[in-house]
Parts: sequence; C-alpha cells; structure tokens
Amino acid sequence: MGEYSHLFQFFFSGITTGSIYALIAVSLVIVYRVSQLICFSQGEFFVFGALFMATLISKGVSLPLAFVISLFGSMAMGGFLQWLLIRRIQGSSIGNLIVMTIAIFLALRGLALIIWGRESYVVRPFTESQPITFMGASLQLQVFWIAGITVFVLLLIWFFFEKTMLGLAMRACAENPLGASLMGISVNRAAFFAWAWGAAIGAIAGMTICPLLFTQYTSGVMPMVKGFIAMSIGGLSSIMGSVIAGLMLGLVESYTIGLISSKFSDAIVFTLLILVLLIRPSGLFNSQR
Amino acid sequence: MNMDKNGIILKIENISKRFEGVHALDGVSFSVKKGQIKALIGPNGAGKTTMLNVISGLVPPDKGNIYFKDNDITGQPPNIIASLGMGRTFQLIRLFTINEATVMDNLLIGASLTLKPGILKSIFLSGRVKRQETKLKDKALEILNFVGLSGKEGVLPSALSFGNQRLVELARALMMDPKMLVLDEPASGLNDMEVENFKGLLLSLKDRGITMLIVEHNMKLVMDIADDIVVLDFGKKLAEGSPKEVCANPEVIAAYLGTKDKNGDGVLCSK
Amino acid sequence: MNIMERLKKAWWILPAVILGIIPLIFKEKSAYVSGILIFAGIYIILAVGLDLLMGYAGQISVGHASFFAIGAYSSAILTVKYGISPLLAMFFGMFLSGLIAWIIGRPVLALKEYYLAMATLAFNEIVITLIIEIEWLTGGASGLKNIPSFSLFGFTMKNNLHYYYFVWFVVFLVVAMTIAIVKSPMGRTLIAIHSDEVAARTFGINSTKYKTGIFVLVNVFASVAGSLYAHYMGFIAPDDFGVSTSVNMLVMLFLGGFGTIYGPAIGALFLKILPELTYFFQDYELLINGVILIIVLVFMPKGMYGIFVAMKRKIGFSRE
Repeated sequence: MGEYSHLFQFFFSGITTGSIYALIAVSLVIVYRVSQLICFSQGEFFVFGALFMATLISKGVSLPLAFVISLFGSMAMGGFLQWLLIRRIQGSSIGNLIVMTIAIFLALRGLALIIWGRESYVVRPFTESQPITFMGASLQLQVFWIAGITVFVLLLIWFFFEKTMLGLAMRACAENPLGASLMGISVNRAAFFAWAWGAAIGAIAGMTICPLLFTQYTSGVMPMVKGFIAMSIGGLSSIMGSVIAGLMLGLVESYTIGLISSKFSDAIVFTLLILVLLIRPSGLFNSQR
Repeated sequence: MNMDKNGIILKIENISKRFEGVHALDGVSFSVKKGQIKALIGPNGAGKTTMLNVISGLVPPDKGNIYFKDNDITGQPPNIIASLGMGRTFQLIRLFTINEATVMDNLLIGASLTLKPGILKSIFLSGRVKRQETKLKDKALEILNFVGLSGKEGVLPSALSFGNQRLVELARALMMDPKMLVLDEPASGLNDMEVENFKGLLLSLKDRGITMLIVEHNMKLVMDIADDIVVLDFGKKLAEGSPKEVCANPEVIAAYLGTKDKNGDGVLCSK
Repeated sequence: MNIMERLKKAWWILPAVILGIIPLIFKEKSAYVSGILIFAGIYIILAVGLDLLMGYAGQISVGHASFFAIGAYSSAILTVKYGISPLLAMFFGMFLSGLIAWIIGRPVLALKEYYLAMATLAFNEIVITLIIEIEWLTGGASGLKNIPSFSLFGFTMKNNLHYYYFVWFVVFLVVAMTIAIVKSPMGRTLIAIHSDEVAARTFGINSTKYKTGIFVLVNVFASVAGSLYAHYMGFIAPDDFGVSTSVNMLVMLFLGGFGTIYGPAIGALFLKILPELTYFFQDYELLINGVILIIVLVFMPKGMYGIFVAMKRKIGFSRE
C-alpha cells in the first residue's frame, strides 16, 4: 500500500500542475487561433493575476471579490495591449511579432518588479481545511478547486466558441481571415477579444495555483514555456489537444520529480520535450497538417 | 544502365507521391534527352509542380526512382541535386530580398557552387575570395546582358517589374552553369511581348546545349519550343510524344476539354 | 585603389583612436568610465554575434545567454577549482561551447520560428537549472567567488585599464571577423537562407551546414564574452545569465538596428551607458528596456543605425 500511495500522490500533484499548464496552453491557443501569434508574454498574466489578487487580499478584500477584480483587471490589460501594440505591427514578419511579444513580456515583468519587488507571495487556500487522505495520498483541498475551475473554464470556452455569435465569429476569423472580414467580422475585434480572454485564462491559472505556489515577478516564464510545449504537442490550434497534452506534461513532470530526480526535473522534462518537438514538429495530436 | 549512351540526361521511373491520401503523382515515368526542351503540361492539379519538386529534391517521392546524369538522385536533398548541375526557377518568384540584397547579390548567390562560401575562408582567405568574386561579377554582368537586364545589377529586385524579376530568376539559375534547367511556369504573368522575349532566350539557351524541362500553361509557347511533351492528368501520365502527336491524341483533347483550363479554353493547339 | 576607398577600408581607425584615448581624457574618473565600457564591450561581442545569427542567418534565439554562461563558468571553474591558467580556460570554454553548439545546432536549427524561439529559451533555462543544481562544481545559486584576474603570457591584468584595452581589442577582432563574413559570399549565403531557405538549397547551398556553422561561431564569441566577464567581475552567479539577459541582448539588437552588425554594437553601447548617465534604480531597468524595445518595434523598425543611415543619405542628397 505504501508504494502505491506515493504513486497516487504523484498522480494528484501531476494533475494539479497539469491543469495549470493546460490553462496556459489554452490561453495561448485562443490567441494563436485568431491572430496566428504565439504570445511570449502569456506567463506575465499568470503572475499579474496571482500577485494582484494577493495584494487585494492583504488589503482586506474578500477572496472571491479579489479573484473577480483581478480576473477582470487582467482581461482589460490583455485587451488593452492588443489594442495599443499588437494591432500596430500586424502583418509584419513572424520574427518581429515574436520580438514584440517578448518586448511586452519584458515590460510587464519590469512593471511587476517595480510594483511587487522581489518577494514571493502566497494566498490562503480557497477553502481552509486539513488535507484529506485518499488511498493513502494526502490531498490539499485546493487541488479540487484547481481541477474544478479548469473544467469550468474549459466548458465556458467550449460554450463560447460553439454557441455564441462572437465565439463563432472568432472561429471564422481563425479559419479564414479574408472571408471573415468580407462577412463584416472585424479581425481586429476578434483579436482584441482573444487577447482579453487569453489574459483572463492566464490570470485564472496564476490565481488558482497561488495558494500552493510562491509566486514572484519571475514566476511567469516556466508556466509559459510549459504551456507552449503542451500547445505544440497538441498541434498549436487544438484546445482539446493542448488540454490533454498539458495534463500529460504535468503527470510526466510529477513522476519525474517523484521517481527520478527533483533537482533536474525541469532539465529532464525540457530535454524530453525538445525531443518530442524534433520528432513531431507539428504536434502529436494534430490532424490538420 | 548507361543513360549517357542513349543520350538521356534525366530518367523518371515510376514515381508516386501521395499528399494526405490523394495521389499527386501515380506511377509516372518519362525521360529527358540531353539538349532537348521537354514540356510537362496538364490541367491544374495534374501534379506538374509536384513532379518538378520531386525532381529537384524539395519533396521526396513515396515510390520510384530518378536518375540524373547516371546518378540515382531519388530522395537526395536539393543541394546535392543542384551540385550535379540542375538549376530551377519557381512559379511564384522567389528572389532573395532580405538585408537589401540586390540583383547582383542574387546572381552571386546563384554561383554558390563555384564560390563555395565558408566561415573560415571568408575570414582568412578574403583576398582569394575577393578575386574569385570579381571574376564571377563579370560573369554575372554578362548573363544580365544576355537576358536583357544590363545596368540593373545594383537594383533591389522589388524595384523591378514582374517580367524582369522572372528574368533575374533565370539569370540566377544560369549563374550555376546548369546542365539542365527545370522551369516552373516561366511565362505566367508575362505579357505577349515578354513571352516572345523569353522564348528567344530559352531557344538560345538550347543552342548552348542546356537541357530544359518546362512546366507551362501557355500552349502557344509550349508548341513553339518543345521538342517533346509529357501530359499529366490527375497524377498519371496521359500521353507523351512530339507536339504534333500530343495534339492529335484524343485522350489529351478530352482531358483539356473537360477541365476548361483558364489558358487552354479547351483549345490545345491553335496552329 | 583611390583615396576614398582607402579611407573607407580604414574606417576602424577613428573609433579605435577615440576608444584608445578615452581613459586619458577622463583621468581620475577613468577607472569608472572604463569599467562601464568594459561591460559595454562584452555586450557588443554578444550582440554582434546575435545579429550574425538572427539578422543575417535569420535564426531566432531567445537564449543567447546560454553560451555566455557556459564560457563564464568554464573559465571560473577551471581557474578557481583546478588552477588552470585563464587563457587555457578560455580556450577550453570556446571549445566546449563550440562542441555543444555543434551537437545541439543541427536538430535545434531544424526548427523554425516559434519552435526555435521556444527551444532556445528552454535551452537557456536548462543551462541555468543545471548550474544551480550542480552545486559542488558551480557553487549553485550563490555563485562562484574569487575568480583570478585574467593573465596573458605572464602579464596579469590588475586594473580596469588593462581589462579595458584587452576587452576592446577582442571587440575589434570580433567585429572585424563578423564584417569579413558579412561582406563575403558567406554573408550572402546567410541572407539567402534567411530569405528563402528552400530556394537557397536549390542553388547547392547546404543550409544545415551553414546554419550550424554560424551557430557554432556566434556561440564561441559568446563564450569568449563569458570568460572575459568572469575574470573581470571575479564573481559570477546564475542570475547573470538568465532569460532576462538573453532578452536584453534582443533589445540591443533591435534598438541598434537588426541585421546591420554595427547597429547592435551601438545598441549595446547605448544600453550599457544609459543607466549610468541617468542613475536609474536597478529595478527600473527591465521595464525601461521593455518599453524601449516596444517603441523601437513600432516607430523605428530599422533601429538607431537606420536613422543614422537615413540622416547620412539626406545630407548626401542635399549636397547634390
């Protein structure tokens, strides 16, 4: 029983980090679908969401309210950046677009450093209670919050893209920008909403993991890179694919930490995934290309 | 097998290529004789460009073999195939434009096989490289003169007309002293006068002994210059022969009538 | 060769003379001024190499600090822990960087655009993680101290002035090599690969070979920069070589002028001198660099060098 309980423990921590990677990956996919752009600054929304919420809570705002304020704040920030910057260099080379999102990354990270300094922040769990024991594995209740919120967000995205006019319009933009603009759908507007949504989802990831993770101004890079890896394994534009890949990535990482080495887990996971990229550059789940 | 003896420079054997389950090429075989102009024609989507890409090594074939000058080049990378003396031009013009590369830069890049650029060479043997480059610049000016672009060597390709950009592509390919040229729709987008000019160039290249394989939609041009024609339809070889034979072939006529090609209008041979 | 051409060939004499006499002008402040210029010089080596890789060969890198780190740590570890001479350690670092670049170059450079950017970034993170975790060798997160001064054939560099002249000698060497490459058929080959790799290959250009070759070269440059940095500072820590450092190099590249070689050198100089002139708090540097990069991308896509060229053209035009 003892050994198995370890494996369960790793499984649950894998699902937890995997959910975060899945959320980041989905936020990247949403932006990519509409504007064919992979945003290197996505991890900064993760940081801003978490740190902004932590600050609000420390100022006495209740947790749910802080969550909502931070969520909408990040959403506004994402939309604003698209409106202010991305729109201006639309149509230039991919290299320039990449560097622009890197510039945004640098600016946001610098801003976070000025606002929050070099300290790490953590908030209290969403529901305070003792960890429960399940099959010999000890579980923080926050794990359920993370899994639940991830499922909720995914359902919301599904509903948005399948059932709402705006969502369908955004899908049309992604599939055929020229056709969409002929139909009177503004590609710019779709990109604006994609960035707002993307930032919001990135922030949700940061806020839900914040009780379990010490977050500081540099915490955005790792989730962004891993979200990207999940996204590219999933085939860049598939939401379902990147969710599955994100969860798998979390599990692989958790078992690597548990069974092989905690020190080198990032190095091992990265090397593994660079290998995956080299073997299947168009993604493991991609059927389009 | 000795291709040289039979005067064959390029031999295509039973080439097949699938893209996502669709047969782009299905068991195509033909050969090109040294010194001739061979045309590859067929309706849109017949697999002509795919054939050229397979020949020049941009796309590996699923099945079959290709021999060029007695070498098996099947599945070889494009740079190796180029080094054997095969030059090509593209349907959509693909000139080098980054960092304000001029027409002369483009031509000199075409001479890469002679220049053999190298990192250490460019640092330690810059004198020798300069001298070699000067010689090649003279050659480039000669070729520009030949295609009718003298005086344009310092211009950015984007400042040239579409027709002239096509000529730069041809000139660039000539810089590699090709034994064989593979031309993908060289006349598309050209006006009548430019087509006539291009025709003259191709014929004088033929006089210089350069073999050509040409994909072209302009049937008048094809009938005027081709020694031999291969017709592709839905990835299969429909017919092969002299322009006259191909014109008279009922299957070919049917294929062209059936598709109402944008240039062909169902009329294959106007003469 | 006429006089104008001769003058053009000797362009480098002017900056060389200016840089040579700067320490003499500043007299008692010369240690401080040369200190700044040493940093600037080290970053010029990095930025010029990155421009050769990105601006010419068209291969994006968001991890150029990786080999800066490998060079610095090779020098530091070999001199501190094994007592090897600094020059030998530097050569070992160059060899190691070249070897690693050659091994990873082929597969990684087969990737394009986003994948390449992300793979180089991930490689940077891997290098930093390894440095932090292999504590017995690298000193871990707290870094390595007491790195001896650089010495050359028995001459030990004791003060800033010595380092200043040495670093800038290396800078001129690196820039001269880079310019030689760029002006030769090799430079045109890189432009061809950058413009249209497929078309380039149909002219017999073995793009994989050239991309890998350039990757090896610029990372050997970066390694040299790392060795100089380690000896000059006497102390290094993983933080000096993180993704932020790599991204700062991108800022220098774009601020100076992408694909112009001299531009990124100007960019590096500017970005290393600016904070000293304005006494910004350290913490503001990230934000300022980010904002500078954004402004450059939106309003001056050709960078400072582009503005300089445009001005020169305008003056030339008015004379005619």
